Amino acid sequence: MTDRRHLIGHAYTPYTFPVEHGKVREFARAVKDEDPVYHDVEAARAAGYRHLPAPPTFSAVTSHWATRNVDVLRLDLRRVLAGGAEWEYLGDIAAGDVLTVRSHIADVQEKTGSRGPMTLVITEHEFVNEREETVMRLRSTVIEMGEQ
Amino acid sequence: MTAPDPEPGTAPDTGPDTPPGTVAPERRVGPLTRTDFVRYAGAGGDFNPIHHDETFARSAGYPSVFGHGLLTAGVLAGYAASWLGRRNLRRFTVRYVGQVWPGDTLVLSGEVLRTGTAEDGGTEVEASLEVHTEAAGRERRLVLRGGATAAYPAPALALAEGERA
Repeated sequence: MTDRRHLIGHAYTPYTFPVEHGKVREFARAVKDEDPVYHDVEAARAAGYRHLPAPPTFSAVTSHWATRNVDVLRLDLRRVLAGGAEWEYLGDIAAGDVLTVRSHIADVQEKTGSRGPMTLVITEHEFVNEREETVMRLRSTVIEMGEQ
Repeated sequence: MTAPDPEPGTAPDTGPDTPPGTVAPERRVGPLTRTDFVRYAGAGGDFNPIHHDETFARSAGYPSVFGHGLLTAGVLAGYAASWLGRRNLRRFTVRYVGQVWPGDTLVLSGEVLRTGTAEDGGTEVEASLEVHTEAAGRERRLVLRGGATAAYPAPALALAEGERA
């Protein structure tokens, strides 16, 4: 197993991404969310939003914008599993917003589970809008299983 | 519970007075197809081939491609948002327990665990969430455990009127 504990605290290059109208619709459709606020601007405004709001797990789309020049984790995708995630919602996110994402590796744990040795990598992401409001936090866990 | 599945976008069925033990109406989504996985890969930007390339998935020891954990999480988040109220959602957590295979139908369920007073005097409701899969010829399996916290503001107006009365 590659020991990656020296990566704790590693901060990724911050990046910004515009919350796009079409992307909100596309993402809501992909997660089969039929709430009209995600595709109808009138419905969104009637519900009190500036524009189409971001669905709760919309943070996933930011991977299109992340700049990962150096792959510090060097995970073997054949052995990678998503472990879990935790979102904290602090304010509205709507189409037209421009978010800045600051991410860092919060923890790396070497464990032995029922399926053998594994590495848990926990990454924290902070989402700040163009008005400097922190609107969301995300903590996600990726698991790399040991080589068989 | 035999209550009908709530229509998306309508008012939540829960609120500050929802007692612990209240169960959300179950919702079924699916069966999910490989196209659903590809659609999610495009929308979400996760192109790990394990979710769309059958040859790659088999070389990793899996019987076929399987769904993104975040796809299941995204479907569950929509369910939680329509049950607890989209704008009330403060926290949403998921822990992946098993894979979602092509042909699986997601069975979404939820239960109120606890209600309490929030810092601002409003009410907080904490719920547990689960996703099982159902498919012809396969046993029903738990694939995701989740949780959500929703906050409901204090009824300031009603309180003020009560004081005047």
